[in-house]
Amino acid sequence: MQDRKADIVLSVGTDMKFLPLVLSFTESSSRIFGLEDRDALKLTLASEEMFAYLCGMTGEARPVTLTMKNGFYYALLRFAFDNIDFDPRAFNLTANVSPDEEGLGEMGLLIASRSVDRMSIFHDPLEGTGIYLIKEKTYPEVEPWKSEEAPDGEGLSYGPPDVEDLKMFVRSIAGRYDPFVYPQDLRYPGKVVDMVASGEYGVLTATDRKGRMAGGMTWRSTGTSTIECYGPYVFVEKGRQDVGEGLVAALISTVARSEAICLMNRYPTAELPPGYFEKLGTIDFVLKGERRPWDFLFRELKEDPGCRVYAHAGMEDFLKTRYKRHFLAREIVPVKYEGERQNPHSVFGARFQHSQNLVVLSPLWDGADARENLARHIEVLKAEGIANILFRIDLGHGWHARLYPVIEANGFVPSIVIPYQGKADWLFFTLRD
Amino acid sequence: MFDVPLNKLVPEYIKKFEAYIPSRPDPELMRLYKVDHLWRLNNNENPLGPPEGSARVIAEFPPKRASIYPSGDSWYLRVKLAEKFDLDPDQIVFGNGANEAIAFVIKAFCQEGDNIITADKTFAVYEWVAAFSGFEARLVPLKDFGFDDEGMLGRIDERTKILFVCNPNNPTGTYWDEARLRRFLDRVAGRQIVVVDEAYCEFVEADDYPDAMKLLKEYPNLVTFRTFSKMYGLAGLRIGYLAGSRDVVDVIRRTCIVYSVNGLAQEAALAAIGDDDHVVRTRRHVNAEKAYLLEELANLGVETHAGEGCYVMARLPVSDTLVYRQLMAKGVMIRTMTGFRFPNWIRVSIGVHEAMEDFVRGLGETLSDREATL
Repeated sequence: MQDRKADIVLSVGTDMKFLPLVLSFTESSSRIFGLEDRDALKLTLASEEMFAYLCGMTGEARPVTLTMKNGFYYALLRFAFDNIDFDPRAFNLTANVSPDEEGLGEMGLLIASRSVDRMSIFHDPLEGTGIYLIKEKTYPEVEPWKSEEAPDGEGLSYGPPDVEDLKMFVRSIAGRYDPFVYPQDLRYPGKVVDMVASGEYGVLTATDRKGRMAGGMTWRSTGTSTIECYGPYVFVEKGRQDVGEGLVAALISTVARSEAICLMNRYPTAELPPGYFEKLGTIDFVLKGERRPWDFLFRELKEDPGCRVYAHAGMEDFLKTRYKRHFLAREIVPVKYEGERQNPHSVFGARFQHSQNLVVLSPLWDGADARENLARHIEVLKAEGIANILFRIDLGHGWHARLYPVIEANGFVPSIVIPYQGKADWLFFTLRD
Repeated sequence: MFDVPLNKLVPEYIKKFEAYIPSRPDPELMRLYKVDHLWRLNNNENPLGPPEGSARVIAEFPPKRASIYPSGDSWYLRVKLAEKFDLDPDQIVFGNGANEAIAFVIKAFCQEGDNIITADKTFAVYEWVAAFSGFEARLVPLKDFGFDDEGMLGRIDERTKILFVCNPNNPTGTYWDEARLRRFLDRVAGRQIVVVDEAYCEFVEADDYPDAMKLLKEYPNLVTFRTFSKMYGLAGLRIGYLAGSRDVVDVIRRTCIVYSVNGLAQEAALAAIGDDDHVVRTRRHVNAEKAYLLEELANLGVETHAGEGCYVMARLPVSDTLVYRQLMAKGVMIRTMTGFRFPNWIRVSIGVHEAMEDFVRGLGETLSDREATL
């Protein structure tokens, strides 16, 4: 088995003379980590765009570290700067390679984003500042399967399946459930096997006395404080909530002593037992041209200690209503812009999730041009065909909350508060219709 | 001003950890939840407080003594307890709460690749300390709410160093009687360290409940934990201890942190030893309030489980973490049990009668208003 810890690292300057080295590094390490030719070339193309772009933006050469990580089912290429001593505007999705180039389609980061499955801009004291690109391996699609003899669901035991049972679990989900109640990853059995091997996915199944699979659940960490789960998927008669309850209880017991504070469920099925989750709200997503409501269900895994959140007056009523509804103890501290000096340029992070035609924008740097900059991001993303654009702020940062007039002026409305996702709660905004 | 290059300074394994955040002090919680009082029914504290002798020591503690280091190894306490339990003082090690003693034992016996065995639904600190120290914690499911001796024995391998048994178990209140504990120790046959955590032993009145202190002479691999936090009401001073055979304790002492138990805690604990009246009064209170609580929860149609100890478990039709928040908003703090791997159960400590009444009333109101749940 490949060693996930064995990252491959290249440190160079942002100088185009290193480009052949960067390309060779990306292509070779992609292949070492198991990407097929086509996928390795796509990631290499993205690295070329990214490196050329960074060379153009940094002016004189700056040290940049490229790290290739093996995610088993994907290769991750990370461009990181320890210190940003140049204009941070380079990290805006909307920044041009050079002032002479025109047209939204020629923006360096955007070109790079098209060749990969996920892209994200980060700025963090622990991680430094930079961009990562993720290219997933190509896997054969699932062949749905439905057992002729349904298990009776009696005398169930719960535990992680072996590889073949795991593939059978994935096939059984496809054989019994509408694709909208399971994430796209579950359409590829081989991918799920690799995701479990990488530690990114967890799966437990329920097995009856005769060893037949009666159902299962999957989950993954979406950050240090949250686990997202899917299901329960039940392969006995539809609506068997007792099997569903057993699965949910087993899942919660499995993750209860992890570091996660919250358990989310964005893919509930009819077998989800009542009383285990709370509904935070609903966001309408557009998938394949069809508008579908997505419920955000959650429960806390720990006792809520309460916390302080910052809020602009414009969103205070929304927050108060939500916090009251969910009995979340929050000390709301009002913030607003009061004429203080600002950096001239803002930076927004963009997290692409192509499988969901989704981009989540978030503030990275505050700046006087925030309103125009955000408008330009929306324009670029719409031109790129992105149907689902969310804006996310961390209510633990006063300057995030202070951006409310900028966010509101660009057509966003507050939609969902998810507790403890960052320094404090995250507030998601959706674009007004 | 320098930017600290944390991405370079912090080891990778530390980046993956999240700091454990304990609950905030009561005044902070009361301010956040907008309540003017808070009944603490979450930590199994003694509602009667410490014994009279300890209370007197605390009240009369001369401030000047705070500038003097305490006995580094709780000398007088060890001498007095040794006399009480017919042991040598060197068979006893004190810690800043029994939690610290758990860390001493794991550090003393485990190295890379080793494992410990305990139950899946018990006091979490055995598992946490092992996991955070890089050792495997093998968790054996409870059987009928109790520790499964055969299941634990079945998980032992050549890298197993310690078996932890919580007796009576927190949170289920079940216990192994003396015959069962002896059978277990005989089967282990000295090959591993067996820790019997008796944090709640003083609450148990059953005749067949074993006293691990009395078994130490027969089983040199046995280590027992006790605490002054529960029956003796000194939780705020953090003081607990372990006892075992001289050879085993000699090894444990190499990993223990001397001077970690403060002088006031030592003196208050010294005054508590042998106060049998306090034990009788506490038991009487716990028994009466536990009976009241079980009856009221039954009236609410709530499933309960109660064994030994100063706490009761209740299974709710809604998320325990939601009910926690709802009860906090009514000034009642209970323990959610998701962390004990009992999702949607809560554990309620026995408090003063007024607190029990407030809890019952608050829970009743909460259960009749379930709009926020799915």
